[in-house]
Amino acid sequence: MSESSGPIRLILAPARATPHDVLHLLPCEVEHNGSASVARYFTPAIRQGPQEKSVSFRGRSLKGQEVKVPQGYVGLVLKEDQRPCSEEEERMVRLKSTFAALTVWNLEQAPSADDGLLLALSWPGIAEAIHAPLSEKEE
Amino acid sequence: MQGSRRRRPADAQPDQWVLLAPESVTDLPMKPDDGPLFTRLRNPSTGEAALYLFNSRAQQLFEVKAFHEEYRSWFIGQAVQHDGRLLFATPVDPLFLVLFYLIKAEKEQGKFQPLDQVVVDSEFSTCTMLLQCAQVMDSLHHVVEEKEICRKKFYKYSQEKTLKWLKKKVNQTVKVLKSSNVSVGGRVQSATFISGKQITDVKEEDYVRYAHGLISEYIPEELSAELSKYLQLPELTSPEVDPPLKKRKLSDAPVEAEEDYTKFNSGLKNKKATSKMSAAQKALAKVDKTGMKTISAFFSAKPKAIK
Repeated sequence: MSESSGPIRLILAPARATPHDVLHLLPCEVEHNGSASVARYFTPAIRQGPQEKSVSFRGRSLKGQEVKVPQGYVGLVLKEDQRPCSEEEERMVRLKSTFAALTVWNLEQAPSADDGLLLALSWPGIAEAIHAPLSEKEE
Repeated sequence: MQGSRRRRPADAQPDQWVLLAPESVTDLPMKPDDGPLFTRLRNPSTGEAALYLFNSRAQQLFEVKAFHEEYRSWFIGQAVQHDGRLLFATPVDPLFLVLFYLIKAEKEQGKFQPLDQVVVDSEFSTCTMLLQCAQVMDSLHHVVEEKEICRKKFYKYSQEKTLKWLKKKVNQTVKVLKSSNVSVGGRVQSATFISGKQITDVKEEDYVRYAHGLISEYIPEELSAELSKYLQLPELTSPEVDPPLKKRKLSDAPVEAEEDYTKFNSGLKNKKATSKMSAAQKALAKVDKTGMKTISAFFSAKPKAIK
């Protein structure tokens, strides 16, 4: 299995040519991929409270929090336009859009510090510590 | 998005991904074809396939992990994406991956060899790209004995040197862990407090044990055990292994995370440290929970699967 799953090339574009997207991580599964009238129905219903955002989605109350991507990082949406027919051809994904923040939504209760995603966002800092080359002093 | 429904249910073959990556990954290559490359390499701890990312010209290596909770989907701009995963590409020291092959060569041949004869793998042919990473040649001397014959260099794995190097890695990690405990601020502090132990209660040994656990994710189990001895980490006694039940009941999240962590840190009885440094560990547990398996399965679907 691993032998046949070849590498995937990331095709970049100049930053100014790459659009920004607004991302919402929903607390439910939507069994669909494709266009959705987010700006028409979802975004206008968002209310910014003193601590959290709230919105009604399909009759459920969602509470959300906007989080920035970790410092030095950038959010990327990657898209594979066409999967090659043969395994010899290199697969490609292109950079479709970027984002600097995302809103994570939970049902009923706003995401807390213990929330998985908020904790996961501290992983890059820890990874940096483990994998940085030894500093001069350590050498 | 158009056409994603043509011949498959949503996500049988995802064609769009959400990824957090260091900004440098998006630096434009000299030639468009030389862009970053996602590829599968051997996880140096398990020897199994895992997903990695080389930046343009293969100067740096990143590992790709997935954060994945059940019942999540994305709104991305004016579109919906069923697959609610968030991928992370974070730097990984490529020397760990090279070390895997050096140890293997030491076991199989046990002699001085040129590096390009050591880092070869018929199953993972892109592993030779590891030798292009600047960090590998700069730091190789930490883990090998070296001989030069007729201006060609030959290398042999040295456990003694490697343990020294790993100990420095542990120290470096401990330092960052300590300082990040301060700088990550209120959130982690409060989470630590919730877990039932005061932060002042954290001992040096706990940091070392924790850092050892982190590094052990990148080295074979045997070497991890050697490192534990080398660091003179005392064996944990059982009464301290299980935190009192009432602590666990304070929140659902830590319970789940502790369970994750034992998986994350397989082979290590690390519960004691967990109870004290839960926030950071939970972060890792959460990331790793979904980790490599999900993500590699995710990128590995073969073209022929959709024929």
